[in-house]
Amino acid sequence: MKLLAGVLLVAPLLAHVGSPDVFFAGDAGPYRLLVTIRPPPVIPGVAEVDIRSLATDVRQIHIVPLPMRGIASQLPPVPDLARPSKEDPQFYSGTIWMMATGSWKVRIEVDGAQGPARLEVPVPALSTRVMTMQKGMGWILALLGVFLCAGLVSIIGAGTREAQLAPGAAPDAAGIRRSRIVMAVLSVGVILAAWAGYAWWDSEADEYFRYVFKPLKLDARLEGGNRLAIQLVDPGWLNRRTDDLLPDHGHLMHLYAIRMPAMDVVWHLHPERGASGTFEQTLPSMPAGHYALYGDVVHASGLPETAITEVDWPEIQGAPPAGDDAGGPVTIGNPIARLPDGSQLEWLDNLKLRAKQPYVFRFRVMDASGQPASDMELYMGMLGHAAFVRSDGSVFAHVHPSGSVPMAALALTQPQNPHAGHMMMQTGIPPEVSFPYGFPRPGEYRIIVQVKRGGKIETGIFDAKVEE
Amino acid sequence: MVGVHWDISWHRSIGRDTFWTPAHICIHLCGVLAGISCAYLILSTTLDRQSPLRNCSVGIWGFRGPLGAFVAAWGGIAMLTSAPFDNWWHDAYGLDVKIISPPHMVLAAGMMSVHMGALVLIAGQMNRASGELRRSLQILALYVGGMILVCLTVLQMEITTRSDMHTAHFYRLVAMVAPLVMGAIARASRYKWSATAVTGIYTIFVLLMSWILPLFPAEPKLGPVYHHLTQFAPPEFPLLLMVPAFVLDLLWQRTAGWGILRQAAVSGVVFLAVFWAVQWPFANFLMTPAARNWFFGTKYFGYYISPNSFLARYQFYRMEQGAQLWQEAALALATAMAAMWVGLAWGNRVSCIRR
Repeated sequence: MKLLAGVLLVAPLLAHVGSPDVFFAGDAGPYRLLVTIRPPPVIPGVAEVDIRSLATDVRQIHIVPLPMRGIASQLPPVPDLARPSKEDPQFYSGTIWMMATGSWKVRIEVDGAQGPARLEVPVPALSTRVMTMQKGMGWILALLGVFLCAGLVSIIGAGTREAQLAPGAAPDAAGIRRSRIVMAVLSVGVILAAWAGYAWWDSEADEYFRYVFKPLKLDARLEGGNRLAIQLVDPGWLNRRTDDLLPDHGHLMHLYAIRMPAMDVVWHLHPERGASGTFEQTLPSMPAGHYALYGDVVHASGLPETAITEVDWPEIQGAPPAGDDAGGPVTIGNPIARLPDGSQLEWLDNLKLRAKQPYVFRFRVMDASGQPASDMELYMGMLGHAAFVRSDGSVFAHVHPSGSVPMAALALTQPQNPHAGHMMMQTGIPPEVSFPYGFPRPGEYRIIVQVKRGGKIETGIFDAKVEE
Repeated sequence: MVGVHWDISWHRSIGRDTFWTPAHICIHLCGVLAGISCAYLILSTTLDRQSPLRNCSVGIWGFRGPLGAFVAAWGGIAMLTSAPFDNWWHDAYGLDVKIISPPHMVLAAGMMSVHMGALVLIAGQMNRASGELRRSLQILALYVGGMILVCLTVLQMEITTRSDMHTAHFYRLVAMVAPLVMGAIARASRYKWSATAVTGIYTIFVLLMSWILPLFPAEPKLGPVYHHLTQFAPPEFPLLLMVPAFVLDLLWQRTAGWGILRQAAVSGVVFLAVFWAVQWPFANFLMTPAARNWFFGTKYFGYYISPNSFLARYQFYRMEQGAQLWQEAALALATAMAAMWVGLAWGNRVSCIRR
């Protein structure tokens, strides 16, 4: 079992789905940074940290991981130096050990011409895979194991046969027979010891599997025609709870309902939790179809999760969307998505997209006359919200202008700042919005962008082809 | 063993940063040196028909050499085998911060074999020698015995902390190793104060490590950090094994004519009773503020030790109760007697080795 080649992915990956890397755009004091953190698939393990400084006067950057909460969050180990690239001196990279499962943050300490400053980026540290041994390595270790076992038996046999003889004397028949008996008995002992070692290895692997992240599941039931009842189902993972959720820009759950496989109907909803712990949502009118549901939640520790399920729904005669709920049938625009009120959402970049590369995706809102929109508003405290979804639904990431970090987790890194996690500007909101993100693997993706202007939430959707 | 204690202290103070830490290199250099020196002994004895060792060698797979050289070479290969296995283990299951894991046990088996090979190599020569040479080799054998005791106690380090010292299970764990080494070296070396000498070497070695390591600066490079450190965190104060060892040496000087079974049974009881009698009250002392100094070292903690842990709060784990206590105590006694018997029997065999 252990000698099979390859890596088994055991679960959809942590916060978001299939998109474990963290992308973040933020300010360390006067220095604007774009941060990419690639958490290790096994904890403890090494995370890769890439930082692009948009400021030219940065001299040095150090990085250090800290647990999100508790006494250890106040006692940082010695920070590691992020080294600047030779080709691009504003690009820094380094590695850090993530030593324990749970909610962590990476502290980025910047030193530059404008003095020292720091920034903290939340990052979940979760084991997400069970790796089996590569065949080559398996054969090498197996051969060495056989060699060692055979060597051990032979050495003990030789010791029994000759070790007590006087110098120069040859072993007699009785000694040789005794040696053979010892070797036979020892062979059985070595086989039993190897078997016991193998069983121990299995039990250690089982113990490790206990720590491998097992995401929450969504149990979604349609009641009374347009009433959605959602239960978070814990498959059992360490001491996780489902009643410890933090509001993330005002909502305990952000639910995306996307009609598959065409992804031609998209709703961004916000179910409310009832007294029984069940999340409830009055659905808007939706055409019949097969829907993928992605429910984003954030635990009290700052650990984000996306619970998923798929459902087949009949046509729903629902209620008009209320509050922050928004969406509906969408048409695809590349590079310009035409919105129902005549305005437009334009994707400003014409990028050749590659997997695992960080990008900043920029969009501009224009009014019906083709001019940059002047009546922009914040949507749930943000310039906009985006979701990056792979055509087969295996990748889903809910991203903000600050990146893929949930705002509730970000707020935990800045407990002294009551406005952490949302923007404060109320006037002069620009018509452009950008989202830092990187696709985890090649494929066809849809980018769902939502902005608010003139009191209405608009949804635009774009196609993206990502290559290796 | 310096490398092993240094490496464990490195893990407790700094955390692992690369495979190529000086302490790690020190450990694996031991395997390489054992492999190279024993390979030379074996190849020179095999290829040179005039080799003075040829008459004092054993034959394995067409090779000839002293038995100890084969044992130590086996240990060196096992140690080197453990390196890729351990590396894969870290990739698959994460960096293990515990001592007792399958690849670490392969490493430990290798290290023990290097020690045993050295002991057998010395014993073969010692049992053919006399006079001053025998006396010198006897001292070397006692030193190797001390290092074997250090090695075995290191394996138990994380499950025999001072917080464990008021449980019967702790005494069972110590009974698995100390009587084994004391009995074996006593018979192998034929020295009348061997147990005292072996445990004395263990005590001095661990004391030196616990006093010298904190003299060097170190800061944690990994988190979570629960204890701020500015120097290496040393091992705990050595177990008071010298006391039962001294009593055993006295006992063995008066029971030389006894059979091995009877001697093992009585020695096992004596070891456990004396060790329990001294270590239990000493553990009480280790928990007091009076021990929180450089000498006894209870002020030092690894950076990752939780402040809520029993160790950090200077508290004992709860002792077993009722039937479980009696069961553990009985097992500790049986273990001490069995380990003593195995040690004495193996020591008898070693004392007869001439190749």
